Amino acid sequence: MSVLELIIALPLLAALAIWLGAPARAASMGATLINLILVFVTTIQYAGKTGLAFTQSRPILDNPSLSFAVGADGVSLILALLTTLVMLAAIWQIQDRPAIFYISSLLIGGGALGAFLATDVFFIYAFHELALIPTFLMIALHGRADAAQRKAVAWKATIYLGAGSLVLLAGLVWLVLEFSGGSKLTFDLEALRAQAALTPLPIAKQGQIFFVLLLGFGSLVSLFPFHSWAAPAYATAPTPVAMLHSGVLKKFGLYGLIRIAMPLLPQGVHVEWVQNALLLMLLGNILVMGLVTIHANRLDDTLANSSVMHMGYIFLGIAAGSEVALKGAVILMFAHGVSIALLFGLCGRMRNQLGTLEYSKLGGLATHAPAFTVLFAFGAFASIGLPGLTNFAGEVMIFAGSFTNFKAAALSNLHWTVFLALWGVVMSAVYMLRAYRGIFHGNATTGLFMTDPAVSQRVPFILLATTLLVTGCCPWLLLNLMKSAL
Amino acid sequence: MNASILLLLPFFSALLILLGHRQLKGAAVLISVGSSIIAFLASIAFLGADDNEGTKMLLPFIDVAGFRAGIDVMSDKQSQGMMFIVTFIGMLVHLFSLGYMKDDEAKPRFFGSLSLFMFSMTGIVLAGNLFMMFIFWELVGLSSYLLIGHWYEKASAAEACKKAFLTNRIGDFGFMIGILLLFGLNNGDVAFDNLQDAFVQGGPLHDAAKLHPGLITAAALCIFMGAVGKSAQFPLHVWLPDAMEGPTPVSALIHAATMVAAGVYMIVRMSFIVTASPLAAEIIAGIGCFTALLAALMATQQNDIKRVLAYSTLSQLGYMVMAVGAVAMAAQHGHAEHGPDPGHAAMFHLYTHAFFKAMLFLGSGAVIYACHHEQDIWKMGGLRKHMPVTFWTFAIGTLALMGLPPLSGFWSKEAVLGTAYDSGCRPLFLAGALTAVLTSFYMMRLLIVAFFGKPRSDSAHHATEVPMIMLLPLAVLALFSIFSAFDILATPLQAMKPPHVEGHDTVLFASLAALIIGAGSAIYLYRGKDKDPVNIKLFANKFYFDEMYAVIVRVCQDRLAWIVTALERVFVDGLVARLPTAIIARLGAATRMLQGGHLQGYTFLLGGGVIAVIYLVVFVLPHMGH
Amino acid sequence: MITLGHYLVVSGMLFALGLAGVIARRNIIIVYMCLEMMLSAANLALVGFSRFHLVNGLPDYTAQSLVFFTITVAAAEVAVGLAIIVALFRSKQSVDVESVTKLQG
Repeated sequence: MSVLELIIALPLLAALAIWLGAPARAASMGATLINLILVFVTTIQYAGKTGLAFTQSRPILDNPSLSFAVGADGVSLILALLTTLVMLAAIWQIQDRPAIFYISSLLIGGGALGAFLATDVFFIYAFHELALIPTFLMIALHGRADAAQRKAVAWKATIYLGAGSLVLLAGLVWLVLEFSGGSKLTFDLEALRAQAALTPLPIAKQGQIFFVLLLGFGSLVSLFPFHSWAAPAYATAPTPVAMLHSGVLKKFGLYGLIRIAMPLLPQGVHVEWVQNALLLMLLGNILVMGLVTIHANRLDDTLANSSVMHMGYIFLGIAAGSEVALKGAVILMFAHGVSIALLFGLCGRMRNQLGTLEYSKLGGLATHAPAFTVLFAFGAFASIGLPGLTNFAGEVMIFAGSFTNFKAAALSNLHWTVFLALWGVVMSAVYMLRAYRGIFHGNATTGLFMTDPAVSQRVPFILLATTLLVTGCCPWLLLNLMKSAL
Repeated sequence: MNASILLLLPFFSALLILLGHRQLKGAAVLISVGSSIIAFLASIAFLGADDNEGTKMLLPFIDVAGFRAGIDVMSDKQSQGMMFIVTFIGMLVHLFSLGYMKDDEAKPRFFGSLSLFMFSMTGIVLAGNLFMMFIFWELVGLSSYLLIGHWYEKASAAEACKKAFLTNRIGDFGFMIGILLLFGLNNGDVAFDNLQDAFVQGGPLHDAAKLHPGLITAAALCIFMGAVGKSAQFPLHVWLPDAMEGPTPVSALIHAATMVAAGVYMIVRMSFIVTASPLAAEIIAGIGCFTALLAALMATQQNDIKRVLAYSTLSQLGYMVMAVGAVAMAAQHGHAEHGPDPGHAAMFHLYTHAFFKAMLFLGSGAVIYACHHEQDIWKMGGLRKHMPVTFWTFAIGTLALMGLPPLSGFWSKEAVLGTAYDSGCRPLFLAGALTAVLTSFYMMRLLIVAFFGKPRSDSAHHATEVPMIMLLPLAVLALFSIFSAFDILATPLQAMKPPHVEGHDTVLFASLAALIIGAGSAIYLYRGKDKDPVNIKLFANKFYFDEMYAVIVRVCQDRLAWIVTALERVFVDGLVARLPTAIIARLGAATRMLQGGHLQGYTFLLGGGVIAVIYLVVFVLPHMGH
Repeated sequence: MITLGHYLVVSGMLFALGLAGVIARRNIIIVYMCLEMMLSAANLALVGFSRFHLVNGLPDYTAQSLVFFTITVAAAEVAVGLAIIVALFRSKQSVDVESVTKLQG
């Protein structure tokens, strides 16, 4: 049994054990802690290597060729690290909740790990679906709104993501069929890659398939205009689920694009109409959702919408398609996952303590809860893109990556999009500082009172904030994992 | 080695204090002050470092194929001189704060933020490439945010720090575009020396300048936009006066001497690209000149001692920016200074201004401290007798700012006016001279109203001289305000003093006339007055810029956000979610009609179905083959 | 001479009558009897086919045996069906088919 299989299995087994009656908190904390250490050690072992490592394959079917294959390279290890970090923080911060909270967090995390570490398209897809089910259930059963509303929100997410997955499935099947060429069907990513390198598809067809995959993966990542499930779902979801879905699971769509669509269809994103469509959609994410976020007057709304908005930057990295931009997109995926999980975690805590998140009713919390304020500042300034925190490294790489092929010295649509996207950086400062001003600055005249969490309850947030600081000051730590070309 | 001390010492002190200031308590102050003193000593060693050391890599921040954004240390005259200013004034401000912030509860946080600022400012000064400069550019923005918002419980401070950060962000938006354009044009290399080489000696950037002069102009202006934000030039000047909500030592260090000058520092670094584009040079000179004049007009009617100084800072920064543009224009006309050490008027004015303006702010801090946080000059008066040392130092600073020969301000102001004269643009020179008149006027007004006459409030009446730890920095800075322009100091301190030009009699005459007219009219108008005899609403209300911007923000942002949100709800959700839902619901309703639950209805359909099948099988299918 | 056609016509008429009854009558017991009539029509057709389909000069008895099966099943069906009708009557106090529209979508 390879270490990767162990990493995938551990949370799932822990969930099973809790269901069978094991003590929920101890079992889940133990499993995630061990998992974090395992992933960390694996990552350190990988440092300096290139290509896939730790591979293992267990054949299941002969024709179509299907096997439970795992393997990891820098990208998947970075995302696995993200998953285990967020999973530990999300589970750690749960307080006084039934076992289902732990089980679902473990299932979401385990599913995400499976999706990131599997190298067989079938299992990549299946693991993601596995992780989605507890997400829906938790929103519907334990969401924050009244029963009717949270069910509606859960249904909306289910339908959107279900439809997206369906389109995605169609695209994947199309892709696999095109590559099989009438002979044996295979779902193995490495085999498909070899095939793509040997006999690439005609460029026009690459564009078409890429577009279908973009729509499918895109609706999983709340690509504009398929985003309207995301904000209400995050605002309603229980804290650990919001942390895990927005922080980790949402990155699956982007991971799929970088891992499946880009290598198999290398010219796909450069087909003019596909690129223009993608640029338009991501501008929708950045500019439209930026303004929508500015309009929000509750913290959960601001965070949920901002998380939709920030996806635009990662899509920009994909649209640019250059080496630098794609690596930047991976860094930003990691950074956004950590920062939004931190913010959602703190936001959930605030809601539990104060009962409201409306800016007009809050103020002056910095005086009462200084440690909480510092932690929140880490998340807020990270999502503003302050240098020294990881998000900046990702964003600047994406922007610079869009200009690496400026040989013709002519401004293309991509470059204009970058300029407009830069305005989004200003907008994110506007809404984040408004939120910060509304909650932490000013006088606490409202009588709403909140104290710092106990030290043991600060640990998960400190973990995330430290990650942002360390990888933000030393982004080369992450970049060294991605020595090979994407 | 030296440079890494300069950079890393404040970094670790800031990190240590900001993360553990409640555990460290008093030790935090010691760490911060100690690190500032060591940094000052290191910067003196740095002054002696070899000029031609060039750029050295300290850390590979981001280094992937095609993109490098390293922490590179650049060592040349400009960075050495600026480094001295930053660490010297930084150290004095640290010392002054020991007294000024003695009773503040959040003292460790204050000193932590101050260390963070020292770190970020050092980074800007040492930056060897544009990306590194941008990184620290943003970090000084953060430290400025933290320090302006030090008393965040006050609504005005909370708003001011937000405003400062956001206004700077708008400038950085342009800055980043400029960086990206140069990055693209120069094939991904944005190290300052490489850029300059590529530009001057013929590289990709040189070719691009030939082929696409428009792009070069755009890049120059975008880069300049960063300076507009950081150095608070029109139209992004609105944040600086509000930034006075921060503690006064902060205003002295950040919002007078160093951070706001970073814009000038940066644009002087990039001056080769400004020289390449006549349009950019003219716009830069124009904006600088306009800001100088506008701010000077506003300053004449302010009553808050710190705000007068803030507008004066704006005005002097406008001078420096104007000098950058004017030098480039002069170079385009062939009037460039040549020789081994041409100097730069903007950097020289930055250098002298840093000392006397920091001193004025610290002096105003001493006054505010002594008057129990009273800032209205009309409630002061007569302080000359109560606080003699503060008065004398403040007077020296005022005279230096007014440009009284032979104080330092005279030389640098003359250099700036000289470049404006050389630029060949007469209005530039005239506006510069007019600004000089206004400068003398408002500074003299401030001095007379605050220090002469009789005390106009209890707090002014009971004011006493401030403690030694606060007087010491004032005295040191006063010495520098007098002597810093002389070669004996300016040369070793790498002030980039331009050589004196003969034949600038007009300039000399103009600056002396400005001094006499401005100071004379202020003495005539304000001597012995208890309230302002001049009352110009437009100036006092800062030309209504704040109100105008508030409307713009409300309409262009908040209203737009509201509209977009509504449209997003209606159209996006409508088209993507509601419309398909409605169609499916309709289809469902239609098929539901068949499902009536009536047994006999089903049977009827069954019969119809049977008949249809029989008909098809018997009459249709057998004939299909033909 | 009675041919297969005669059998089939009678069977068809019987089926049509039954169907008409099922569709048109309201009383659930009558509907049930009409249903039985349709079953009988099918049985009649089967017997007819059996008589006229000769294998080695003898009628094909497979169809005849099928008829016995059908009758047996029908008997069982009557037992179940009548029981359902009685249960229905107990709950609705009516034998009108219109009173049972629970499956309305």
